[in-house]
Amino acid sequence: MDRARARRPGIAALSVLGGLVWAVLLVGPGGFLPGRAEGADPTPGGTLVIALDQEPPTLDPHASPSAVTYQIIASVTESLLYHGRDGKLVPWLAESWTPSPDGRSFTFKLRRDVKFHDGTPFNAAAVKFNFDRIVDPNYKAGGSRAQLAGYAESTVLDEYTVRVSFQGPNAPFVTYAAAGTLSLVSPKAVKELGDQFHTQPVGTGPFMVKEYVAKDRATTVRNPAYTRKAPWSDRAGPAYLDAIVWKFVPEAGTRVTTIESGETQGIYLVPAQALPRLEKDSNFRVEKMPWPGAPRIWMLNVTKAPLDDLRVRQAINYAVDKEAFLATVYKGTAVRAAAPLTAVMLDEPAVRQAYPFDPAKAKALLGEAGWQPGADGIRQKAGQRLELVLNAIEYGGGADPTAQLIQASLRDVGIDLKIKAQARPPFYEDNYRCSTHGPVMFFRATDPDALFSLFHSSLVGQNFNWACYKSAKADQLLEQGRREADPAKRRAVYVQLTRLLLDDAASVPLVDELAVWAFRSSVQGTKYNFNAYPVLSDAHLIRR
Amino acid sequence: MLSYVAARILACVPVLVGVTLAVFSLLFLIPGDPVKMMLAEFVTSPEQVARMRSQLHLDEPILVQYGRFVGHALVGDLGTSIRSRRPVAQEIAENLGSTAVLATASMAVAVVLGVSLGLVAALFRNSWLDVLAMLVALLGVSMPSFWLGLLLILGFSLHIGWFPATGGGDLRHLVMPALTLGLIASAIIARLTRSSLLEVLGQDYVRTARAKGLAGWNVVVQHSLANALIPIVTIFGLQFGNLLAGAVIVETVFSRPGLGRLLVGGILNKDFPLIQGTILFVATAYVLINLVVDLAYAVLDPRIRLR
Repeated sequence: MDRARARRPGIAALSVLGGLVWAVLLVGPGGFLPGRAEGADPTPGGTLVIALDQEPPTLDPHASPSAVTYQIIASVTESLLYHGRDGKLVPWLAESWTPSPDGRSFTFKLRRDVKFHDGTPFNAAAVKFNFDRIVDPNYKAGGSRAQLAGYAESTVLDEYTVRVSFQGPNAPFVTYAAAGTLSLVSPKAVKELGDQFHTQPVGTGPFMVKEYVAKDRATTVRNPAYTRKAPWSDRAGPAYLDAIVWKFVPEAGTRVTTIESGETQGIYLVPAQALPRLEKDSNFRVEKMPWPGAPRIWMLNVTKAPLDDLRVRQAINYAVDKEAFLATVYKGTAVRAAAPLTAVMLDEPAVRQAYPFDPAKAKALLGEAGWQPGADGIRQKAGQRLELVLNAIEYGGGADPTAQLIQASLRDVGIDLKIKAQARPPFYEDNYRCSTHGPVMFFRATDPDALFSLFHSSLVGQNFNWACYKSAKADQLLEQGRREADPAKRRAVYVQLTRLLLDDAASVPLVDELAVWAFRSSVQGTKYNFNAYPVLSDAHLIRR
Repeated sequence: MLSYVAARILACVPVLVGVTLAVFSLLFLIPGDPVKMMLAEFVTSPEQVARMRSQLHLDEPILVQYGRFVGHALVGDLGTSIRSRRPVAQEIAENLGSTAVLATASMAVAVVLGVSLGLVAALFRNSWLDVLAMLVALLGVSMPSFWLGLLLILGFSLHIGWFPATGGGDLRHLVMPALTLGLIASAIIARLTRSSLLEVLGQDYVRTARAKGLAGWNVVVQHSLANALIPIVTIFGLQFGNLLAGAVIVETVFSRPGLGRLLVGGILNKDFPLIQGTILFVATAYVLINLVVDLAYAVLDPRIRLR
């Protein structure tokens, strides 16, 4: 294996000893003994060890505000529908779904052959229990609460039919019904386990949570009773792997070392510095999954001069050199963003071509707006320098690196950008009060309705319309998007809306970020859902 | 002796009151509204903010809040973590063992290594051994722990493969974190041992002991080292604080469970009850350890208890 290359003559003796330790390690947990040669049918068995960048606050899908929870439980708990990499919704625990004509309620026909890991039958009452649990004011829900916004009730129509109703039309709900946040857990386990449920969620999926060791690891094991075909798989039956150990390794350098040494066989969040090394080495395979939602984006506060002038906002969109971001900071962990939704959310060629990097056009637009070059290289109008203040979170090591890159790009066209790097509370306060020229932010979501949170006029002064953007036309489209159940018509609404937002230059979309995973090449069959979370029932280990 | 002990214990009281005040005011010293900050990543309604505010009793007068904070802390109730929703005291209890083991092991490394290096340097003063020992100590003082930790991982995990890079548990997991912290702490102890021992070795009674014909080793260990220990014991107590601070970094680098990780997680997640509880606990532990150190003086040096 690759260990041999690491040896140097001076430490030959040590290496022999090290080799012995390695032999022990390889057959221990995390070793990759089972499995046959590549190409053959995978042999079940083995343990996969994956290092994550953080510890989840909870494994309860309804309580978590954090992606790491769903990275671990994406094949532990299952949802009514499944959202595949192709963006399509397909049946999962529900066999079919029908929206009501008024768009306020959805009727789900459920599978009859599903049991939770604790033996509790899955049925309409279980669905109702789950959704009622999320909106219970005494329950501290996480991201799930926003996805059930406007929830009225669930009605058990018969044992395997449930109707979920909302106060108003809610077309995005079918997307959220496929999200991990609204995945379904055993009512019995919720009642019996109490607080312990945070580390022992009980679902219906091909893996079960076996063990949780705080600050160290979570272990999920194969559910032998899983006989169905998971929607991401082309075969029925239980998972190949015996177990997956999810280790929490916050330090990026340490994480990379563990996969290089073989202590782990997979890592999440490969740092940009280590990415070229792993990509070049045939012992590893790097997988990049685009995050759904809004890209890393500068929300341009359209109410604050000089950004109240459309030409200035458009000039900024032409002036920002996104390719420079990719080359210097992201180095293969992101792609150029073109719209307030990432490409995986809305892949519309006309939209992708908006605002190419064109400093000459930016300068012309600024000139048109009356901003003429000044003595110090910064443009001026009526004695006023062209200065902007970018709101940013101070992460300890400074602001978001994109802030500095924006600063450099804008200086080239004669705009002086000041970065207001600050702690979170004043950062949020400034956004609520529309007192800076806007923040750089990102927003993860699986439905284009994410744009409602970012641009609806009712959310100025709240989360997250930090462009302070108010447009009757945009409001109307955002509301229409919530009503429209037909996927094709819905898409047309969001294309129209995106073009409007781009024409109004209410933001500067910077980069679409990628979830970057690396696996040893002995690990095969890794798959991902639309959320960019791994679904691992087909993952297996091969010997090479 | 009794009055000395009583005086030391009494002296701890104002320190501890100061600690509770500092930890309590943490919530009010940060800019902005703590509740909004804690809920920042959630889409929240004003009712949720109000509910959170009343759950944390932030709607009460400040003095009442402080009274409640101290009262609860006295009976071991440090509140409930916002992220994990579990009692902070329980979180601390679960992580204490791992950090205590790490602190003890690294202190052992520090003392054994530091005292030996200092001893060698003092006995072979101005020789190449002295220079070498002090060079090692200088390296230790100047080495950032996260860097040393990563170097050890690179060497012992990736290249030689002796120890796992991450995790807690058995002895194999303990070696590298303990070395990282211990090597750094040993540097200060080595330098101090050297200077303190050199001073004692120059004293008249040492010359007398030698003149009486006592064996060289006996003079050094029994007559000199014992008397040179006072400043070393002092630094032992102070170093304990450094060890806890170091644990914050070392536990993160080695992905080891412990109070340091707990605190870092709390800070990153803006989990105020957890931050307050952990800092209060660690600060109290620090005060108590230094109390033990003060009492140890009295045992080591009779002049102190008689004063």
